[in-house]
Amino acid sequence: MSTNSMSDPRRPNKVLRYKPPPSESNPALDDPTPDYMNLLGMIFSMCGLMLKLKWCAWVAVYCSFISFANSRSSEDTKQMMSSFMLSISAVVMSYLQNPQPMTPPW
Amino acid sequence: MGQGHRELPERPPAERRPDQARASPEQFRPRAVTSSSQQPPPASSCPGAGRRGAQARTGRTLCAMKTLPAFCVVLLVLWSVSEAKFDDFEDEEDIVEYDDNDFAEFEDVTEDPAPESPQRVVTTEDDEDEATVELEGQSENQEGDFEDADAPEGDTENEPYDDEEFEGYEDKPDTTSSKNKDPITIVDVPAHLQNSWESYYLEILMVTGLLAYIMNYIIGKNKNSRLAQAWFNTHRELLESNFTLVGDDGTNKEATSTGKLNQENEHIYNLWCSGRVCCEGMLIQLRFLKRQDLLNVLARMMRPVSDQVQIKVTMNDEDMDTYVFAVGTRKALVRLQKEMQDLSEFCSDKPKSGAKYGLPDSLAILSEMGEVTEGMMDAKMVHFLTHYADKIESVHFSDQFSGPKIMQEEGQPLKLPETKRTLLFTFNVPGLGNTYPKDMEALLPLMNMVIYSIDKARKFRLNREGKQKADKNRARVEENFLKLTHVQRQEAAQSRREEKKRAEKERIMNEEDPEKQRRLEEAALRREQKKLEKKQMKMKQIKVKAM
Repeated sequence: MSTNSMSDPRRPNKVLRYKPPPSESNPALDDPTPDYMNLLGMIFSMCGLMLKLKWCAWVAVYCSFISFANSRSSEDTKQMMSSFMLSISAVVMSYLQNPQPMTPPW
Repeated sequence: MGQGHRELPERPPAERRPDQARASPEQFRPRAVTSSSQQPPPASSCPGAGRRGAQARTGRTLCAMKTLPAFCVVLLVLWSVSEAKFDDFEDEEDIVEYDDNDFAEFEDVTEDPAPESPQRVVTTEDDEDEATVELEGQSENQEGDFEDADAPEGDTENEPYDDEEFEGYEDKPDTTSSKNKDPITIVDVPAHLQNSWESYYLEILMVTGLLAYIMNYIIGKNKNSRLAQAWFNTHRELLESNFTLVGDDGTNKEATSTGKLNQENEHIYNLWCSGRVCCEGMLIQLRFLKRQDLLNVLARMMRPVSDQVQIKVTMNDEDMDTYVFAVGTRKALVRLQKEMQDLSEFCSDKPKSGAKYGLPDSLAILSEMGEVTEGMMDAKMVHFLTHYADKIESVHFSDQFSGPKIMQEEGQPLKLPETKRTLLFTFNVPGLGNTYPKDMEALLPLMNMVIYSIDKARKFRLNREGKQKADKNRARVEENFLKLTHVQRQEAAQSRREEKKRAEKERIMNEEDPEKQRRLEEAALRREQKKLEKKQMKMKQIKVKAM
């Protein structure tokens, strides 16, 4: 357990504060999933809006959800929210322009 | 059935577009039909139609005069379109208009419209005293029959028909219909006009998928949170007896224990402990699986992975001697040897089996020198490693720890990375993903091992030979590094000198006072001359030495 059971190993005078590890390239190195998913979501929602493809818009919604689930706490929520809103708007616009249900690609 | 106003010689019997379908009854009214795509409201599309009495009447006539040409154009268009359409039934419309008299003669000729019971919706507009509009759902036979029947019988009958008249006709439509059935392509009613939710099945599927994802997110997040809390509750006592500060997120002004985990992510929890002999501090990271991400959950079904607990103890410089040592599963050690800067430089041999020291076969050892292994593998350590071998991923002690190898774009970094004396432990949580909060109790002995290791590292000292070897190793590594970066460093120094010269020249140029300029230039020239002289002297000295 401790060095010897009699003395207390604790040293209040030797307390060091927690320093968060410097966020150089480590966050990106650790797990690039949220960034990729964010980018992918934006691309799909733009495709869905421009090319009027419903499935693109739905995939964009999924991508933004996945990005949110994998996000690090240090990441900006604004970025997340903006990609989410963009994908939702892509879906809504696709259906407003063409209310027909989605046809499966096969 | 009412005849209605027959203002047209021929009315297109098959109107496919719903908007046109709605628009055509209105054609007979003196109303402003601006475009066929619009659906004029039943009451008043004309601006004057809303007024009452005489005003309304005058308004209406005015409207009629204005809209008459448009009305004619629309009729023409409709007629031509319907002619084209009537040739082959390839349209998608289901809402059609018929004057029932047009098809009265065909109604009994069709073979099985009755058993199929086509959807007939008779809509009559209340204030209309004209032709009734029939909306019929299209069935194959009907369409075929209509097309066939139209050709031989072009004119419409105004009177109700006699059964006897059509006795001979029963075969004819059959044969013709059978002949002409092939080229007919019946198109399905477009889905969004069907008024049924079933046609939107893909959308419903998507939304269900999203809901499932959200549910999994909530469940996964909660599970991770419960596991983290269970771990902390189990280990709290041990940690608090060993460290003054348990739990710190670095934001408080004073160094007080927060007494709780620091949540970095939905699946990563940190805990910083400090205030003990020998070590600066200990960072514990609970790296759980991404239970909140459904994709990850599905991927894990293919390839099971464990939750991990990573502990990093930063030692004081005086409390640890200089050595690099690692023990763990063979796979983990191979990976670490490739990734970690210190292991790759100091432990060049392959991981050796630890059977000599009584370790199970699953564990291997990487060491800088044999003496370190001998010193580290004392009885208690072996006991820990043997008993909890399934939970140990890797144990790494190093005085030259600087993290994983950094790949820089320019090649080698110019400086040796900063090193810190560190003890690293990676433990696997039992359960291989299917972990329960009570499994966290199994990790408590491992924390005991960590505490023991801290004290052991402090006590363990290399003997003289070992120390010499260690120093030689470190000097060798440094030299290698310097050699590799020699060229880069020279280039860097050269560029720095050029920068300085340029900066000085700029300063001289920017001096407004011409006198000062001249003086600065002279000073720069003198410095250059001195440098040249120095170089010449050096060259002479070298030549003399060589001789």
